[in-house]
Amino acid sequence: MEQLETFIVESPDTVGAKTTKVLIQDTLADLSLNRVIGRLKVFVDPVEPVFIFTALLRLGTPAIRLKDFAKVEMGSLGKDEVRIELQREAHTVKLLNKLWEKYGKDNIEQPDKKIIVVKTDPIKEVDVLRELVIEEPQAEVLDRLIDAVALRIIPEGFRVRKHELSTSHILFVASEDTLKPEWIAKAKEMLESMRREEENA
Amino acid sequence: MLEPVMYTGGVYKHNQMVELVEDLGGYILQKNVMQTEVVLLMLVPINDMAIVEEKAKELLGKVTRAPLTGTEIATVAPTLAYHHLPHLDCDVAEFLRKQGSKTNMVGLARGVGKRICQLTAYERDLINEHDLAVFILGNYEHCIIEKSKRLYEGIEIPIVVTGAPELRTEDVPNATAYVGNFGRILHHMRHSEELRTLDKLAEVIGAVFDNVRKEIAKDPPSVAPPRIKKEIEEQVQEIIDSLHPLPITLQMNGVRVKLPYEEYHEQIENIRFVEGVTMKEVARVLPSKMRNFILIRALPKSETGFVI
Repeated sequence: MEQLETFIVESPDTVGAKTTKVLIQDTLADLSLNRVIGRLKVFVDPVEPVFIFTALLRLGTPAIRLKDFAKVEMGSLGKDEVRIELQREAHTVKLLNKLWEKYGKDNIEQPDKKIIVVKTDPIKEVDVLRELVIEEPQAEVLDRLIDAVALRIIPEGFRVRKHELSTSHILFVASEDTLKPEWIAKAKEMLESMRREEENA
Repeated sequence: MLEPVMYTGGVYKHNQMVELVEDLGGYILQKNVMQTEVVLLMLVPINDMAIVEEKAKELLGKVTRAPLTGTEIATVAPTLAYHHLPHLDCDVAEFLRKQGSKTNMVGLARGVGKRICQLTAYERDLINEHDLAVFILGNYEHCIIEKSKRLYEGIEIPIVVTGAPELRTEDVPNATAYVGNFGRILHHMRHSEELRTLDKLAEVIGAVFDNVRKEIAKDPPSVAPPRIKKEIEEQVQEIIDSLHPLPITLQMNGVRVKLPYEEYHEQIENIRFVEGVTMKEVARVLPSKMRNFILIRALPKSETGFVI
């Protein structure tokens, strides 16, 4: 496993902290999230009870659009069609699924391995198609991250939750009782301290 | 009193062991043949153990005590979510099964949290049908203690609790025994220390069962549970067609029969033993909370006045 730069689980209960650390490692490995998280700090106090999970993220590649791997042009003169010429075939399956969903199977033709013809109004649709999002690795990773944190790591009984999620960080505060403002402040402080570490590194 | 033991040895001549145990009035509960090796789970009259051990020596096999044999254990998880399954719960259930017990997994509907956890009446009754319940709890000492104060309300069978911290049994309220080093583990337990922890659990459960057996021996059941099993197998043909795992599950004080109660309870109540008594004279035939199965509880000698 690739080591996270910061990975701290704090708790007044040392045995609990140790097992929670193993538990977080297992979950991140199961969902292959090790590379996504840069720094991670967790605070647990079972007496209060509160569970705070904060992490800085490294999300990698942004969304992939059609224009990134294909030439999108108007079709032959006088015909209502858009011609897509693929430069890489990696995303073809996902692309076809998206096109079928949007325009219907009848309106999609693939005369050649690398050429797809969409029967639609070219003037309106060419730009739309160019910007069509084929794959969103970031969103997928965030989905998995939420799955890991909200559904697997945070103790089940902690049903009162507050979360913050962006492309750069994730913050979860959970408890069995009403959340206290100082917990949220503590969570923000933990996040800030990690940001400072990141800057100084 | 019958002693639960496991015999491991070669397939060659193992029938001699089977016959010896049956002749001594013991029971063969399970026979697993694995290529050239055979594993027998059996109940042997305690006074005749020496003869069985002698025979094992002669056949170059080994007889070991297996206190979990012939028992039914409920492994209880606070819920059926990723937090507890599949790893820890299934590992515990499977390990206890390998030791000779039948385990049933129970996931509670509202078992989460230390303040908000609850046990429904149905869950309580279902768990009470077993010989012992293993509650698989989590990482934090405070939570385990707080939760134990309220979660086991109404459970009359022995309770074994597992969790991460090393606590003394006295510190965990309402628990019969506590086993540490577990906690909420989200990987398959296969390292040597983890296996040792599981061994420890089996050992603790075995000790609890031994105490229960001693208690039962003071007022023994009028009919031994394996005898009930044998008679049902011989007299109720339909049990052969039951596809449930262990259609007749042994418990320490009775059996669970996996046949519908409405159709079969009368037939089972009227089963006649060679001694001349019927089942309803020596045992109570009850509807089980598990599906529509039948639960048979042997009556103690103090109630019937005789033992067959």
